[in-house]
Amino acid sequence: MSADLNVVGQSVERSDGIGHVTGRTRFFGDRSFPGMLHLKMVRSPLDHARIIGIDLTDAERVSGFVRALTASDVPHNLYTILGLIGVEPEEEFVLAEDRVRFKGEAIVAIIAESEAAALEAVSKVHLDLEELPAVFDVEEALRPGAPIVTSWGNNTFMYEGHPCRRVRLGDVEAAFERADHIVEGVYNTSPIEQAPVETTGCIAVPEANGRYTVYTNTQALYFSLDNTAIILQVPGNRLHFVGGTVGGGFGGKVDVIVEPIATLAAMKTNRPVRFAYSRSEEMQVSSTRSAWRIYIKDGISRDGHIIARKVTSYADSGAYSRQTPYALTKHAANAAGPYAIPNVSIDAYCVYTNRQPTSAMRGFGVTMASFALEVQMDKIAERVGVDPWTIRFINAYRNGDMKPHRKLAEDATLIETMQAAAALVGHVLPDDLRAMTSAPRDAGPDGGRD
Amino acid sequence: MASRIVTFDLGGREVEVMVRPMTTLQSVLRNQLGFTATKDGCRQGGCGSCTVLVNGQPMLSCLLPVEDVAGQRVTTLESITPAEGLHPIQQAFLDAHASQCGYCTPGMVMVSKALLDHDPAPTDDAIRHALTGNICRCTGYRPIVTAVHSAAEAVHDAADAMRGSAGERAR
Amino acid sequence: MTVRTYLLPRSRPEALGLLDEHGPELLVMAGGTVAMPLINEGISLPEAVMGLRLAGLGGLERAGDELRIGATATLTQLLDQDAVPMLREAARNTASWSIRNMGTVGGNLFTPPPGGDVAVALLALDARVTLASTRGERVLPLADFLTGFMSTELAADELLVEISVPIPGEPTAYLKLGRKHASTPSVVTVAARLEWRGGRVTDARIALGAVGPHPIRAREAEQLLVGTRLDADAIAAAAVAAAQGCEPFTDGIATDWYRRRMAGLFVGRALEQLTPGAAGEGR
Ligand SMILES: Cc1cc2nc3c(=O)[nH]c(=O)nc-3n(C[C@H](O)[C@H](O)[C@H](O)COP(=O)(O)OP(=O)(O)OC[C@H]3O[C@@H](n4cnc5c(N)ncnc54)[C@H](O)[C@@H]3O)c2cc1C
Ligand code: FES
Ligand code: FES
Repeated sequence: MSADLNVVGQSVERSDGIGHVTGRTRFFGDRSFPGMLHLKMVRSPLDHARIIGIDLTDAERVSGFVRALTASDVPHNLYTILGLIGVEPEEEFVLAEDRVRFKGEAIVAIIAESEAAALEAVSKVHLDLEELPAVFDVEEALRPGAPIVTSWGNNTFMYEGHPCRRVRLGDVEAAFERADHIVEGVYNTSPIEQAPVETTGCIAVPEANGRYTVYTNTQALYFSLDNTAIILQVPGNRLHFVGGTVGGGFGGKVDVIVEPIATLAAMKTNRPVRFAYSRSEEMQVSSTRSAWRIYIKDGISRDGHIIARKVTSYADSGAYSRQTPYALTKHAANAAGPYAIPNVSIDAYCVYTNRQPTSAMRGFGVTMASFALEVQMDKIAERVGVDPWTIRFINAYRNGDMKPHRKLAEDATLIETMQAAAALVGHVLPDDLRAMTSAPRDAGPDGGRD
Repeated sequence: MASRIVTFDLGGREVEVMVRPMTTLQSVLRNQLGFTATKDGCRQGGCGSCTVLVNGQPMLSCLLPVEDVAGQRVTTLESITPAEGLHPIQQAFLDAHASQCGYCTPGMVMVSKALLDHDPAPTDDAIRHALTGNICRCTGYRPIVTAVHSAAEAVHDAADAMRGSAGERAR
Repeated sequence: MTVRTYLLPRSRPEALGLLDEHGPELLVMAGGTVAMPLINEGISLPEAVMGLRLAGLGGLERAGDELRIGATATLTQLLDQDAVPMLREAARNTASWSIRNMGTVGGNLFTPPPGGDVAVALLALDARVTLASTRGERVLPLADFLTGFMSTELAADELLVEISVPIPGEPTAYLKLGRKHASTPSVVTVAARLEWRGGRVTDARIALGAVGPHPIRAREAEQLLVGTRLDADAIAAAAVAAAQGCEPFTDGIATDWYRRRMAGLFVGRALEQLTPGAAGEGR
């Protein structure tokens, strides 16, 4: 190793290690400010309802109540999460307007002198709601007559005018005709909560110079700042976000949901305001990884080569899409797996239902594709009568292969990775698999495929 | 809603706080006394991040009205951190990378402290059993168990050294 | 969460007096491991709470062939006793160290399913509960005390003060299935105890947790075992009866379907431990 490398190859003490083991690391919630107020949300008890009325009279009488915020108090009452990365439309309200679309949707923000007073006032807000039929299953949500969750008349996110993200390579139907085996599978996954041990939260503090300092545990500091600036319709330079110390995130803290309303509350009261999710809000209201349903149909030749793969996926986005449309695009790009398949057709739908909104978590739509595909690969191996290693080696993509979304594979290492994995688990690969490389097919030692 | 004055021993010093009825020890530590090493992951008894020792026994400060510990001995992570350097358990957690985001760490260290006070050479099973109420979402539990083992050895070695030097002084 | 009064009586008469004085609106709390989470979350908003931690209702002692457990004895105290191994096993399978240091045996009888892992053992042991009020005391079998989901025989002015357990002479079996090894809600909990004469079962107790509105007895399975030698057929029949007779529910931990299947399987396993000469004997 080169002598002038002073970090690579060395064990370096973490800069925050001492802070963590002594408890001196300052998480946002470890700060407190004189006069700090607490914000708690009044949330929808129903999955889908029209808001007829909100009665704050009894809440206002609670000792310690300071004020309430409703939709009309929010300058631009739409989250801009996707807008900031160029994916539209914006559809999630900061505070619900005429309709709630999932159980737990924020309707009124209560600001009070203490958390106890805020909780008590929340319990005294009377909501007049008219329950609407709700839908909880992705395929039911796409059937004619299903309750419509969105404001644009169907329950899918629209990708350039299409109800699904589409990927096409070759002609799958013709290849199915030629195939020696057809293997089909349907794979369902549950929503998964990231469940960081520290819940999502922030404290917004008004400064004497007219700016607001926001201490937050967001995973996306500047994203969160931009989002807040747009929602509050203030220039970004009025906001100073302090972050970086995150008590676990795993994708659960990229939604930037708490900062705008806490900052608005600080503006309206001119006092520091803390808004942190309770554990049950973290579990039941903050977004999860989506539940997916994935249908796969594969056509395989006698020797185990996959010649056609058709995937139809549904991501249950929940009531609002947050980052799921983006996750779905990544999913679609990866839904054929790391395999060289000449004929591919992928339709991936981002579907709205009356469930908790969903977003990022470790792998962004790709994890679920991998789960389904790798179970499917085992099924194929069983059908063709080869072992699970072989089926992956012979189908693995190599440099120069065309991926379904029309990118040439570069720096492919699947074969080498599998070889290394086999060595690590003590699995002895047959000579032909051991000799394989990711070199382009015509140049490779086995002269390519087919 | 009369507030009351509650006195207890916090890491060897007497503290006196004025609290509303049913204020939790967690809230007193964090919000009134600024002892924020005790964390706040759930207030449900489910995560262990708020663990403190009451008379040497691990308890969850989020479920404990401070009035219940009046006159008793409360130990938090601040109380076991030496003025200089680290407690052997802290050092072991640092060395084993048993802490990633650090949010679970104070609770993990406090339970480990109680465990080693009860059982200076715990088995793997004993460590795992002691820590089942403490959730870590980042690190994975293996480095934590490793840290507790090496802390046990370090505490043991330190005790040996103490005995040695005490013996020398006696001679 | 805006509790206006928190009472901490220092004796049993004081506690009963306060309960009488404040009436049914007073929330009673022992270890607080069930009550506090609800208060913290704002789900329960009591105005007045009485804590029993200092009321002198704890302690645990062996008196002849009985174990007397004070209502506020902690789960850790139950784990530390050795008069009744089944109760030690139950405590070991309940929650985690810190919760056991706080949570009480009495509180476990009020814990809704899938909680109540200690109550399941107590039910199989024919425990009796003592309820006290300023009017006096009464003693009832635990089986009669538990009446429904979060409901018991306890009157509004009464406290649970003691649980007494006949110390079993014969081996017992206690099994809990969770989704992880420890500190986990129950999928199903099984406690079983048999009495024998001349190689035949003369009496049987099988209690089940997390498969009904409260810990329940598998009475039909119990009856099927009486008179048998606990052979494979008898065990299988009892397991089927227990699975059919329970009322499992679906929650975040398990479906009703899975709970019913596991109830049968675990009743079978518990009984296998009790067959003469089985490895589980003497636990
Ligand atoms: C993280 C976690 C894990 C848990 N795991 C388990 C588990 O694995 N298995 C399990 O069974 N339980 C579990 N529990 C539940 C609970 O800890 C136990 O059931 C415990 O025994 C409850 O006792 P407590 O004294 O804390 O109850 P408390 O919260 O004090 O009492 C609950 C209610 O019971 C009534 N009550 C209690 N004592 C009396 C009395 N003496 N007289 C009259 N009324 C009374 C009151 O109405 C009171 O409000 C868990 C709890 C948590 C937070
Ligand atoms: S905060 Fe107390 S156990 Fe989680
Ligand atoms: S280090 Fe993050 S929860 Fe343990």
